[in-house]
This record gives sequence, structure tokens and C-alpha cells, in this order.
Amino acid sequence: MSLFGTSTGFGAGGFGTATTDTHNPMKDVEVTSPPDDSISCLAFSPPAMPGNFLIGGSWANDVRCWEVQDNGQTVPKAQQMHTGPVLDVCWSEDGSKVFTASCDKTAKMWDLNSNQAIQIAQHDAPIRTVHWIKAPNYNCIMTGSWDKTLKFWDTRSPSPMMSLQLPERCYCADVVYPMAVVASAERGLIVYQLENQPSEFRRIDSPLKHQHRCIAIFKDKQNKPAGFALGSIEGRVAIHYINPPNPAKDNFTFKCHRSNGTNTATPQDIYAVNAISFHPVHGTLATVGSDGRFSFWDKDARTKLKTSEQLDQPITACSFNNNGNIFAYASSYDWSKGHEYYNPQKKNYIFLRNATEELKPRNKK
Amino acid sequence: MGVQPSGKKDHSYIENLEKKGIIFTFNVFDSIDQTGTNTMAEGGEVEWELCKENIQPLKKGRDISALREALSHQQEGSSSHINQHKQAFESELRVYEGDDPLDVWDRYVKWTEQTYPQGGKESNLSVLLERAVVRFTEDKKYHNDKRYIDIWVKFAQNGPEPLDIYRYMRAQGIGLQQASFYIAWSEEYENQGNFRAADNVFQEGFKREAEPHERLLQFHKALQARVARQVMANMLEEEEEEEETTAAKPERASLVDLKPRGKKKAVAPINRVGAALSSNQHSLQFQGSQASASSGQNSRLVIFDEQKAASAETSEPKLETWKAPPPSKSKENEQRPEKWSSVKMPMKSRFGHTVLAPPSKPNFQPFVEELDQPPAMTPCKINPAVNSVLSARKPCRSETPLKRLQLHHHPLQTEGAQEQSMYCKELLLSGAAEFCFEELRAERYRQKMAVKLDSSAKEEQAGCGLSN
Repeated sequence: MSLFGTSTGFGAGGFGTATTDTHNPMKDVEVTSPPDDSISCLAFSPPAMPGNFLIGGSWANDVRCWEVQDNGQTVPKAQQMHTGPVLDVCWSEDGSKVFTASCDKTAKMWDLNSNQAIQIAQHDAPIRTVHWIKAPNYNCIMTGSWDKTLKFWDTRSPSPMMSLQLPERCYCADVVYPMAVVASAERGLIVYQLENQPSEFRRIDSPLKHQHRCIAIFKDKQNKPAGFALGSIEGRVAIHYINPPNPAKDNFTFKCHRSNGTNTATPQDIYAVNAISFHPVHGTLATVGSDGRFSFWDKDARTKLKTSEQLDQPITACSFNNNGNIFAYASSYDWSKGHEYYNPQKKNYIFLRNATEELKPRNKK
Repeated sequence: MGVQPSGKKDHSYIENLEKKGIIFTFNVFDSIDQTGTNTMAEGGEVEWELCKENIQPLKKGRDISALREALSHQQEGSSSHINQHKQAFESELRVYEGDDPLDVWDRYVKWTEQTYPQGGKESNLSVLLERAVVRFTEDKKYHNDKRYIDIWVKFAQNGPEPLDIYRYMRAQGIGLQQASFYIAWSEEYENQGNFRAADNVFQEGFKREAEPHERLLQFHKALQARVARQVMANMLEEEEEEEETTAAKPERASLVDLKPRGKKKAVAPINRVGAALSSNQHSLQFQGSQASASSGQNSRLVIFDEQKAASAETSEPKLETWKAPPPSKSKENEQRPEKWSSVKMPMKSRFGHTVLAPPSKPNFQPFVEELDQPPAMTPCKINPAVNSVLSARKPCRSETPLKRLQLHHHPLQTEGAQEQSMYCKELLLSGAAEFCFEELRAERYRQKMAVKLDSSAKEEQAGCGLSN
């Protein structure tokens, strides 16, 4: 089902701007009223909610909500503020609440019906990740912070249900019940099992040589979490299974977000992988990078499906909607070159792309 | 000196403190015991008592409140306070824009030492020292900055081969005008038993007019005193080992000629009588034994004799107290001369301080040659198996801190030409721990906010003042 028809809408580039403008070379749909500063995270509403709602957190301390309509129109719906930049967002599984994590060391629960947000978590340092856990016998929020702890919160209580020590600052995390995985500074990697109550399952030696930057859990054919994809700061993603029949063969890494693919005369530019998302239906994955490109991959066929044109800014976040028809990606500065390359005047964008066709696996097995 | 050693400490510890020129850690410890007026809680006292053996001493001494805090944090397991402080340092390192970046590193190093009393991997001190040292190697303005030299010295002492580091420093022109450089270098030679080289280091320091001059002089004098004591002790020890009853006193003059026996080639005249051990008698003895002793040992004694003569003038009272105990008299009366070369008994001085026998071969190397070595641009003879630097990264087996230093400033050409990282690597890795983009940015944000708060607070104050 095609969501947007042909791209005669916003992103056509026919607004009288210079033809060399590469802010939207893929001619995707631009989300209206994007945040005023870099977008750090994107999340689509869960299946339990009718329609598509997109949440985006930014370095302007705000979290915005848009409704994405079937014809491609995006309507800003609501906004909440933190007292520091927002680093991560997630939805509750029923779609009634949005959780936001910020540099202000707090996490908030935003009730969309009442449009009220209350603080539900506190750390000693900025909170980098927030995830909702729905278990048969409990529900909670998991927050990972630069204070080297992973805490679990019942939203009704000010103190955490549980606090686990991390080897280093939390850099990224993902949850697909009953599995959670956290990647930390100094290439730490820990898997947790969430049945009954969260506990550390295994510490894994990093398959990557460089700083961990993003992580996403994938599922097997039975829809159970089977492993994760881990992206690093130097153009590489590792696919790692938790209990593979043949680890040496089944686990692998691949290069991505690099320039000069075939040209060996000049040094190859290597960019950071900023985010990874798995398609909810096909199991293929998308990666977005500092180079301003997104790529789609089939991890089972071990092939690349597509790479986009280069945007004029890094792509900092991405997300698939609940049925995999829409791929959202954000174009903004990721601070990969420090503050000197930051231009506060530069506009930030969120683009929406039809994801039904391009992410179909290469070989239907 | 005013130090009242408590009975539990052995005297080698005092000796050490003397050497290092610090005593006041000891004093602080005493104040806990003696004065009832200290404000420290009982609990703090107990922790310190229980852990003191695990706590690495610092040359400057430990700030007792920082020590207690560090220990209590470790016991409780709450390290969040420490983490925050560390993160603050890491952030400061990266966003600092003033003209004295060394200051941040200096404070970070000192804080780390105080906060992790047991040392160990968690402190990341080795990595921190190495980064600090490397960061400013090319920065001439810091080459004689005392803070920088102190960091270098700590780095050298932290590693497997301090001497290599000191030579490297010299080659790079680091610390040449700083007394502490020569003091530390000399101390290392002394620890290895190379008094000759230790002395030469001081001579070079004087030549280069290192500052502060008085300090250099003071430590040099202390070295000379220790050397003299060592010589005395050596002589006494040799006398104890030798069983032949050769005389120094007139009544034994007939046995002056000695034949070298056993493994020891060198022979020293035996002077069994306590009274004869004053410096004057000794110099006479040595001159008398030149004919019989082997040249190597003899020449050594002659050389040290000059020094001893010089120091004897200034420290006469000290030497006199070093008379050997009389028991040796009884030995010679009871036993026949026997081979004692297989047995070595370290002599105990009057203060119970164990004196080690010197190696039988000359214990100095021709230091002049070492000085003439070219700057250590190429890898030195470093024992690759010894790498005691504890590092978060896993270095390859043959890497040592010195090698990494050299590689950093003279990188291999071939590698890295094919790939280029398109992110601010230096910024992320410039501290002792890594940072991610978000941490960098968050620190910028925090600074910006702090400035804003500050200026708005000032405005408020000004406003309030006016409205009155």
C-alpha cells in the first residue's frame, strides 16, 4: 500500500531554491515544524494505536509529536520540554504514554491524552537511553545513564525498582522482551534477560574495535529476539547472534558509511554509524550515518539493498513505523566534528520515505 | 627532625622518608594517635588503620580528608560522586580554551592520586599520566614547568624502565632546568646501586644551573652522605666475612700481606677492633692495603675515599656513631680461618637497618659513555616482557610506555594512509577516558548554561541593589 503516492508533495525541491541544494536529495516528505536544533531520536507509535504518530526529541530541549496522515501530511500535535537536551524517547506498548530521557538527568512520562508530563526517573548524570519493558508479571522503564548505572523504574515510585552497575557509561541500548542489551563506553557490551526480573545474562567481548554508537535487537523467524546489530564510530556494523549454532560463521561485521568504495587511490573516509533500525516485517535493517546517507541491508543474504544519495548534513536518527511502510530519518548535525562545525542557523529536517518496497529481503527463502 | 617514630614502623621506612624529603605524612598519622582534639571521626580512623598497608604513599603526602573520603566511598560501594568528578575533569580537558591547558591535566592527575589510594587499574592513572606526558611533549613552553616535570617523573616511576624515560626526556630537552628532574633521575640510579651515575646526574644538574639550586644541593649532599654510609657499611661487612686475621693495628702488622681467597678477588684489610673504625684510621688502612688488594676493588675504594674525606669533614659526628659492635673480636679468637665465601650475612647497623653487600664487580658503569648516546629516537633496549603499565586498552606484548611515546611523535608512515576517520578523534580521545559526540556536546551545553546562569544571577544582584 503506497502511502504517499508520487513525490509531488513537499520534498520535490521546487521551492525556488538553488538546484545545488542537497538538503533533500532523495526527495522525501519533509515533516512540518521540525525542531530548532539537532534531532537526537525518533520513535513511531506502537500497533495498539490507530494511525501513525511520530515522536522526535532534540537538542533544543523539546520533544515534539506529529500525526502522520495517510496522504503524507504531517500535523504537529503537541510538545513537551525538558530542562536539558533530550537524548532518547520511547512509547509504552499501548501508545498512551511517551517516555523521554534528557541531559537534565531525568526521565519523564508524557501522558498524551492529558498532555501532562511528570518526572519518573532520576540519575546522577545525563540519561542516555529509555525503554519501556512489558513483562507478564511487571511493567517498567529502563534507563541507561552516563553515571554508569542501568535503573528500572515503576513509574509510580520515585525510587528505582532495581539498579544495576554498568562497567562504563551507557552509550546505547535496546529492548525486545525478554532480552535487553546495553553497549557502553570502552566497548562494553552486556546482555540482560528480563524474565521474572531484569538480570545480567552475559557480558560479551565487543566484535568491534571502535567506540560503540548504536544498537538494535533483531528477531528470528519465530519472532523471538535472537541477536543484535551494533554500530561503531568508524563505519562498521556487527551482526551478533546470542546463541548461534555456529558463532564463527553466523556472526559477522560489515563496512558501511564510507566513501570511495572502489577508488583505492585516495584514502577512504570513514563515518560514524549514528543509528540502526530493523524493519518490523521483513527483518532487514536500515543504518544512518555521519556521511549524510542511509542504507538498507539484508543481514541474512549479507547484501546491501540500497544506499541513498548524500544529504548535506549527517543523519542522526531513524525509525520505522509499526507496519514498516514508513521510514523516518532526521537530518541534523551530530557533533561529529566538534563545536567548530556547528551552525545554529542551519535548518534541521525529518524526512519520511515509503519503505514497503525497498526493504524487501533479497532472496525470499 | 622532630619525628617521633612509633614502634611499629621499621627504620627502613624512615630512611625512605628521609630520602624522599618528606616526613609529614608520618606526622599526620601521629596526630591521629596522639591528639585527642582532631576532628576526625572514629570510623575514619579505623578505615585508615585497616587499609594503610594498601595505600600507596605519595611524595607530597596524602590529604587525610580526601583519603578518608576515598576509602569510605570504596567501602560503601558508592562511586557516583567520584564518577561525576572524573567526568567533570574529562569534560574540562576537552572544552578548555584558556592558555594553560597543563593546569587541567595537573589537577586531574593529583585528584586521581588522592582519590584512588590503592592505585590499581580503576584509577586509570597510568593512562592519564601517559596521555598528559604525550600531550605536551612538543610544547616548548612547558618543557621546564615544574608541574609537567612532576608528571613525567610519576610516569617514569609508573613504568618498567624509568631510566629510559629520563634519558628520553633529556633528549627532548624536557626538565633540563628543573632540579626535580635530576633528583628523580639520580634517585633511580641510586636505587639500582649505581652511585657513580647518581652523582654524575647531579653534576650535570649543577652544570645546567637547574633551579632551585638549594634543593639540588641539598639532595646531592644527602646522596653523598648515604654513599659514605654505604661505604662504611661495606667495609665493615667485608671485614666480618674475612676470616683471616690481618691486622690494622701495629700489633698485627706482620700479617698485612693478604692473599685473595675464594670467590672474592678483593681483599680488604681487617680491622677487628671497634675503636679503629674511625674515619682517620680507615683512610690509613686503605692506603696500606693497596699492595695486596686487587685493582678493581682497590680503585673503587680509592675513589670513594676522596668523597668520604670530603664528607667526613662535614659530618664527622655521624660517622663516629657507626662503630661496629665488638663481637667480631670474639669470633677471631674462637675460630680458625675458613672459607666463608659461600656465606653472606648482611650486616645490621646500629639502627637495625639492613645493609646489602655491594656486587663484587665495580658497581658503576662508565657513565660518560651513556651520556654520549644519541637521543633515543630508535627503540631502546627495553625488556619487552616487562610491561607493568596497567592500561584500559590492551597494548601488544612488545609495547612499553616509552615505545608508545616515540611512536606518537614519530609515527610510522605506512599505516593509516588508506583510511581517514571523519570525526574529531582528538577531541574524543584527548582525555584519559573516551568521550562520545553527545558527551562533548552536552559539556558545551552545560558550560553555556553555567555562563548564562552566572550572568543572570549577577544581573539580579545588580537589580536588587538598585531597587533599594
